[in-house]
Amino acid sequence: MLVEKYKPKKVNEIIGQKKAVDIFLKWIRNWKPGKKALLFHGKTGTGKTSLVQAYALENNLDFIEMNASDFRTSEQIQQNLGHSIKQQSLFKKGKIFLIDEIDGLAGREDIGGVKEIIKIIKESYYPIILTANDPWDPKLRSLRTYCQLVQFDKINVWAIYKKLDEISRKENLQIDQDVIRQIAKTSEGDLRSAINDLEILAAGKTKINSENLESVGFREKETNIFEMLKIVFKTNKIEIAVDAIQNVSKDPEEILLWIEQNILNEYEKPEEIIKAFEALSRADLFLGRTKKRQNWKYMKYTIDLMTGGVALSKKQIYSKFSRYQYPDIIKNLGKSKAIRNKQKEELLELSKRLHCSTKKIKEFYLPYFKLQDNSNNFHK
Amino acid sequence: MFEVWAEKYRPKTLNEIINQKHVVERLKAFAKDKNIPHCLFSGRAGVGKTASALALAHDLFGDKWKQNILELNASDERGIDIIRNKVKDFARTKSIDSEFKIIILDEADALTRDAQQALRRTMENFTQTARFILICNYSSKIIEPIQSRCSVFRFKSLSDDHVKKYIERIAKGENLAITKDGIDAIIEISEGDLRKVSNILQASSIANKKINADVVYEVASQAKPKDVSEMLNFAINGNFNNARKKLHELLLIQGLSGEDIIKEIHKQIFSLNIPEQEKVRLIDKTGEYDFRITEGGSALIQLEALLAQFLDVKK
Repeated sequence: MLVEKYKPKKVNEIIGQKKAVDIFLKWIRNWKPGKKALLFHGKTGTGKTSLVQAYALENNLDFIEMNASDFRTSEQIQQNLGHSIKQQSLFKKGKIFLIDEIDGLAGREDIGGVKEIIKIIKESYYPIILTANDPWDPKLRSLRTYCQLVQFDKINVWAIYKKLDEISRKENLQIDQDVIRQIAKTSEGDLRSAINDLEILAAGKTKINSENLESVGFREKETNIFEMLKIVFKTNKIEIAVDAIQNVSKDPEEILLWIEQNILNEYEKPEEIIKAFEALSRADLFLGRTKKRQNWKYMKYTIDLMTGGVALSKKQIYSKFSRYQYPDIIKNLGKSKAIRNKQKEELLELSKRLHCSTKKIKEFYLPYFKLQDNSNNFHK
Repeated sequence: MFEVWAEKYRPKTLNEIINQKHVVERLKAFAKDKNIPHCLFSGRAGVGKTASALALAHDLFGDKWKQNILELNASDERGIDIIRNKVKDFARTKSIDSEFKIIILDEADALTRDAQQALRRTMENFTQTARFILICNYSSKIIEPIQSRCSVFRFKSLSDDHVKKYIERIAKGENLAITKDGIDAIIEISEGDLRKVSNILQASSIANKKINADVVYEVASQAKPKDVSEMLNFAINGNFNNARKKLHELLLIQGLSGEDIIKEIHKQIFSLNIPEQEKVRLIDKTGEYDFRITEGGSALIQLEALLAQFLDVKK
């Protein structure tokens, strides 16, 4: 993946975050045990993790990353971190900790979580960085006094554009400047998604122009969803497929349509198609049950079946590059709605004239009208 | 737009209703008394239920009959509340030239039981100013409390002779040349539905001076919906992409309901050119996905899954 390949290896390769980088460097140079932790906040793909990673790499430190949502209890935090923050690194000069999505912590059952993290910060022999989507979450109030907040801004379009341009030149991608500009613009300051977009467009095609851009339904930003589709269709592990949906900011109902649209772009054998649609059918059924009964516990089956079920419908992973598409259904919904409304109007008019329901008009009259008048509006 | 014969040859007065003597006599008596009870008309499609209701209104109210009736279609009105409001608006004012107005509710059997309960109350509330004529195919689908408040009229199916009479009436009115085997063919295809008769006749008359059996069968086969069988054949021949596109068109552009499509698929399976054993399997599958739609699945996904099953047909 290009994102991995072009991950910053040095702190000065981090783009568009001069202020945050300066705060970070000043903090870490002065850091001693007992000092405050840093709390990074800002949009995804703006370089929060990359900064810490690059620094660790440059300074030969052990980079230890974990996600706060993995800790269900304060005991687990103690188990995972308690020793590590005091032990020496075996091979490297030191350690640096990154605990992601700290606001994923807490909730009722792990009420002790925040307290435990504070304890870790106080006792650690090594610097700790936390990240949060919303640092102002009330449950983080006590934690905030032990942290210095660092804001990561959206990366500006120009910086993203330059980066994409650099990558595309190094990778020898034949890509229009317009397209790069468009990707940069739609990324909304998220460099990671921009690079992913570039990769999706570049793969398979040698020459990329703005037409390709349209063919993947770029107008709306769908980076994550394309990434997700790639994972679902290219894995045969149920867990990986199910996890892929985590980072997609669309509701399952819409994701289901994305998967529906692209089964035929990936699978070729009839038995695979049958199996995949059967899985989708079951997923859809659970979705219906969820909605009908307003009971969200059924939703997990929808998600498992539409990702894992579809993933495991293939006999073998296709090594081909598949171009994934925006769902026809969503694309056509607005358009067909207008057509349907017009038809409905005309049907109602006929219904009045012929004294029967629109259903009967469709069934009993229209087929004959079509024979009589080919220019008739009802002739699709 | 052209004139629709079904409308042109619709009976204007009760005297013109074909067959249904037992019904017509009583309705005429109502017209003479200038009073009617709530009515329930039941019978097959195209035998004259709506026509009788309109003719009754005509005979009751004379030239101003249109102002004194409200036509509603249970299958087009979204919900009983909308029906209730329309009835309320219409029945609030009293007719100038009559004691009451008439509300014709077609396809009343499309209403759920709950909706029918609500309807019953509405009927009671407006008895002072309005009479209801409910029309349905099966009176058994109308709840008993409503049936007991109505005079029930059962419309008979039409015999071949009645259909023939109707054909001849149109033929005369339109100056059509129609052969004897042409008439027989129409009788056979129309299955006693006069609406079908006039539509077949009208479509046949467009390109043909003389209407014979060949013309009639040709028209009837062309008028049959082909989309569904096309869609199934795409799938059977392994072109799932086109089958899927067709389905989207039926659902999204033509606005058919999933229920209608699956009903048609079930019908079409019998005439597919595939081994009998496969038909049994596909019918079983059709039932399964039909059930899933009822259970809350979306028509689109479920029908696609069903179509996928056709990919597997052994030839």
